Amino acid sequence: MIEFKNYSCSYDAKSVLENINFQIPSHLALLGSNGSGKSTLMKSLCKLVKYRGKVYLDAKDVQEYDAKELVQQISYVPTKLEVYDEYISVEEYLLLSRFAYKQRFVNYVKKDYDLVALNLQLLNIAKLAKHKLSALSSGEASLVLIAAALTAQSKTIIFDEPTANLDPKNTKLISQTIKELKSTHNIIVITHNLELVTYLGIQTAFIQDKNLFLLDERITKDELVALYD
Amino acid sequence: MTKLLIWLSLSIILLASPFLGAVSLNFQEIFTQGSLHAQIFYDVRLPRVVFAFCAGVILSLSGLLFQTLFRNALMTPYTLGISSGAVLGAGIAIKLELLGVFFGLSIVSIFGFFGAIFTVFLLLYLAQFLKRAHNTSLLLLGIALSLFYSSALMIVFYLGSAIQNDMLLRFTMGSLSIIGWSHPLSLSIITLILFLTLYGFRYELQLLGTSDDEAKLRGLDTKKTTLLLLLVSSFAIGALVSISGPIGFIGLIVPHIVAKLYPVSVKERIGKTALFGGAFLVLCDTLTRVIQTQSELPIGIVTALIGGPFFIYLIISKSSR
Repeated sequence: MIEFKNYSCSYDAKSVLENINFQIPSHLALLGSNGSGKSTLMKSLCKLVKYRGKVYLDAKDVQEYDAKELVQQISYVPTKLEVYDEYISVEEYLLLSRFAYKQRFVNYVKKDYDLVALNLQLLNIAKLAKHKLSALSSGEASLVLIAAALTAQSKTIIFDEPTANLDPKNTKLISQTIKELKSTHNIIVITHNLELVTYLGIQTAFIQDKNLFLLDERITKDELVALYD
Repeated sequence: MTKLLIWLSLSIILLASPFLGAVSLNFQEIFTQGSLHAQIFYDVRLPRVVFAFCAGVILSLSGLLFQTLFRNALMTPYTLGISSGAVLGAGIAIKLELLGVFFGLSIVSIFGFFGAIFTVFLLLYLAQFLKRAHNTSLLLLGIALSLFYSSALMIVFYLGSAIQNDMLLRFTMGSLSIIGWSHPLSLSIITLILFLTLYGFRYELQLLGTSDDEAKLRGLDTKKTTLLLLLVSSFAIGALVSISGPIGFIGLIVPHIVAKLYPVSVKERIGKTALFGGAFLVLCDTLTRVIQTQSELPIGIVTALIGGPFFIYLIISKSSR
């Protein structure tokens, strides 16, 4: 259960979101114009940005979670896989998702390796295990990002524009994957892709005038597009 | 195969280095107690090789660390002005003739040390005011600091006596010529601490090498970890530079070569970078002793002569991508 209370956030002294009171349903698609604060709102949940007000996760203030605890609750899947260490392999990258579970100074344990192998298989990318991240195509990279989120074994997964850089074939593949995850995880999808929203069949919220509100399920596509004006 | 050859030649240089120099040593003589050759071997050459090796390890590991922490191939304690801070600190101590010893550490070293640590904190403080694209800006801050420190050092020169200035000038050129075992021993301990810290934090380093957000999203307290690693490394750099003076570009060159030889994640490169860096500086130092000019070439000048062009190459190759 995720809840925002009297939440406000500004960026470069410019107010982006103001006094949001919102409870996130089990699955949510988050829409809004570019720069409306969708990612900012979700990054607040992961303590990546500063905000005013409160964000609660299971009735506990997220600020009271320590970094490792929070990771075990929420995973954040960015749009693009961007890492500096260009020589890290897919397997090593997925193992990093187990950092929050790892004992200090020691290696990852067998369970971690097993989970990595399992999730690679689940997403049909087992053959990529030893590949370097820098050598992946954007479709493969998207799958690796999802595999990383699964490996973290968190209840909630946030997808930040998961289909933004993908061709139609990969868009379909990623959409299917996200839809399948609905049965095992709480998912929050930030997107501009209205087809994806319809396909996932989940509740939709829209950010407008610095506020966030749920959309009626019967809203037509034209009405939705009109909201962006 | 190339790797094997490289490591083999570096090992040979390590073994041969103590025998090379102004006086070529005879292998049998060094086992004769009290002979001149034995004295040169045990009291001059061996400690110097150990010292050079440790210096190489500290410089390359710090380079690898800074590049990973700031995710930029051009970041080293040298390019960020931390070495210059240490030089200025040591320079001020020389000017003030604070040549005593305090708790086993020379006051010049302590000043050098604080120069390095002060610079780290100054950089971290200033970095807060930088916006998102803070990496390049941070590098520019470091370069600005270096320039400022050089000017401040000029003032110290201007005010100094001829004897002080000669001492200072030699110090700023960087030198590994030490005699006896006290410096090599203390530096080996510091080197070991640095290595063990980096090795102990290898998983954290691997995380930090992805991106700051990724590291936080995987549950790492990036601020605390970065600060701790920076402090340990600056401590080692401060201790080294206050004895040897600045030795530039090793931290830039060695991690780059090792990454080209071993395209593996940073976690797997810590030990290799340390070994390669140590042997590489011993090689450079042996060169300064073998190439005889009027007196031996200062090591800092040799590494800067190799490193300057390499720095330019790195900037061009990174920006063309």
